[in-house]
Amino acid sequence: MSFFGGMEISATALTAQRLRMNVTAENLANAQTTRGPDGQPYRRKEVVLQAAPQQGAFGAQLSAALGSRGGVAPGGVQVAAINEDQTNGKLVYDPGHPDADAQGYVRMPNVDTVSEMVDLIDAQRTYEANVTAMQASKQMFAKTLEILR
Amino acid sequence: MLIDTTQLALERSISGAAQRQEALAANIANAATPGYRRVDVDFHGALAAVLGSSDARHTVEATGFTTQVDGTVGATQADGNSIDIDAESAKLAANALEQQAAVSVARTRNAILRAAMGVAS
Repeated sequence: MSFFGGMEISATALTAQRLRMNVTAENLANAQTTRGPDGQPYRRKEVVLQAAPQQGAFGAQLSAALGSRGGVAPGGVQVAAINEDQTNGKLVYDPGHPDADAQGYVRMPNVDTVSEMVDLIDAQRTYEANVTAMQASKQMFAKTLEILR
Repeated sequence: MLIDTTQLALERSISGAAQRQEALAANIANAATPGYRRVDVDFHGALAAVLGSSDARHTVEATGFTTQVDGTVGATQADGNSIDIDAESAKLAANALEQQAAVSVARTRNAILRAAMGVAS
């Protein structure tokens, strides 16, 4: 247990949510990309989050020694993986398109701009919630320092 | 005695609130983590239990708090996550205020002690 612990935990969430926003931005930017580096249409990427073990060997040892007493040690959140969505995008009839097949159909990316926008808002609001949590931790730390004055 | 049981209890509750803040911050951080179960620290219960004991002074000083998975709430999301972000934010704000109140009281008690000793604060 330390006073900076709460801020560190919130910081892990800020990192994770910012990455989610970056990935969503990439998905939106490539919503019309029919040819990636491998020649295939772009596939939407998805961030998988998981609860992180407590960080810092010293901090973990110290809190174990000081009275966490067998409970769980909260350690924030981390990104477990960035997965590609393997579903196929829709086929659009556009014979003039350079990536059209013999029948004139183009395979579009499997990015749904509406659900990407929802993800973007979700990441933004979660980010804000964690900023608020971090400010509360900071206020507590500042208040505790007042004992010394 | 210079540092009485109340002062020790205040010190432990400041420490408990700091530990609880970590737990609540972790809950908010994991608001979107599949399968995450909320954790909490019942430092009120732990302190109330030892304050009623006969040897309160020594037991309060040695009281530690446990961060535990909260089994009283079920999953609120389809992926098994049990975090209600509004409830967590409210708890976090209340916990921060509680800690600041405890600090204010502890500080005032110290000031009284200093005044009684004739030490300029």
